[in-house]
Amino acid sequence: MKDILRLGSILMLTTAVAAVGLAAVYSVTKPRIEEQKRLAIENALTLALPMVEKDAIVPAGDQSDIQYYKAYESAEKDTLVGYAYITRGAGYSSTIETMVGVDSSGKIVGLKVLDQKETPGLGTKIEEVKYGESDPWFTRQFINKPAAKVQLEKDGGSIDSITGATISSRAMTNSIAEGYHELQEAVKNQQN
Amino acid sequence: MSLFKVFSKGLYDQNPVFKQALGLCPTLAVTGSIENGLGMGIASTFVLLCSNLLVSLVRKGVPNKIRIPIYIVVIASFVTIVDLAMAGFVPDLHKSLGIFVPLIVVNCMILGRAESFAGKNNVGLSLLDGLGMGVGFTLALVVIGAIREFLGNGSLLGIPVIGAGYEPVLIMILPPGAFLTIGFVLGFFNWLENKRNA
Repeated sequence: MKDILRLGSILMLTTAVAAVGLAAVYSVTKPRIEEQKRLAIENALTLALPMVEKDAIVPAGDQSDIQYYKAYESAEKDTLVGYAYITRGAGYSSTIETMVGVDSSGKIVGLKVLDQKETPGLGTKIEEVKYGESDPWFTRQFINKPAAKVQLEKDGGSIDSITGATISSRAMTNSIAEGYHELQEAVKNQQN
Repeated sequence: MSLFKVFSKGLYDQNPVFKQALGLCPTLAVTGSIENGLGMGIASTFVLLCSNLLVSLVRKGVPNKIRIPIYIVVIASFVTIVDLAMAGFVPDLHKSLGIFVPLIVVNCMILGRAESFAGKNNVGLSLLDGLGMGVGFTLALVVIGAIREFLGNGSLLGIPVIGAGYEPVLIMILPPGAFLTIGFVLGFFNWLENKRNA
């Protein structure tokens, strides 16, 4: 009995020390991690809407299902020139989250994968940048295509899927089209 | 055992992957490319160094009966610290290693070294042992990653090394490729060992 108490209290002491240590590390790294997340979104926004200045993009639609941003011609926020929206699709082993930028006619002007945990070496190729190039070859295919109608070539569209990763390719492609419809709904609701 | 031997045994004679077959789960899971293998190796080495250091420091105060849970708490704490630090300072690497960082906790190489070395030796020797084993583990991950990336993607460190006409053997970067590669590599080292002993 005495032994149990002694061993139990040593274990408790160990875990208490570990807990205090972890709490300290957590509070130090938390602001940095949040900063990194904010930077990732900001970076994705500039890639999704390459034609506008950073301070001409404003978050919108807190009440709607879809998280989106409005892009104006200049920082004065007078002429609306496009939108950026975050869309999600169920891939092979994860949810693929993409930031998509469209102009006012619904044509894709830029996009960036925000998060995915697909099969390394296959599904992760949705973000692969080939040696000597500056942007991912898969997402480049979407530029200048109408967001509402993007589809894989296999499904009758014009996007080449990644060899060995059709599910990831399709998930991302379809989520872009579906996200665009949600965006239209959200914009319409806000105007009413 | 000489100081150098304490360090170098982890590189070949007692290499965690090739000789002791420890830590095979992360080895199989992350070695689709050299870059991922290297990142995982460095993160594991860091955790191993920290856990060996702390375990050897507290080894005399740790009652024998509860040493394993205490070691696990120590290792899990350091893994969490590595995970948080990587998310805050190197988010890209953190993203590409994903789920595998938390999995360092269950890497039996780390518990194995705490149990068989750091729990019985002083701080200096334990650090040396951790460094040797960590470097040996990293080397093993890089070797397997290189083979798989070369055959499965036609590249090394992301740089294409085979002409565009090469059709990559996709299975090599999929899980079965990991089992195939590690089987052949372990077989090769056993063959080498038998030849040396003959």
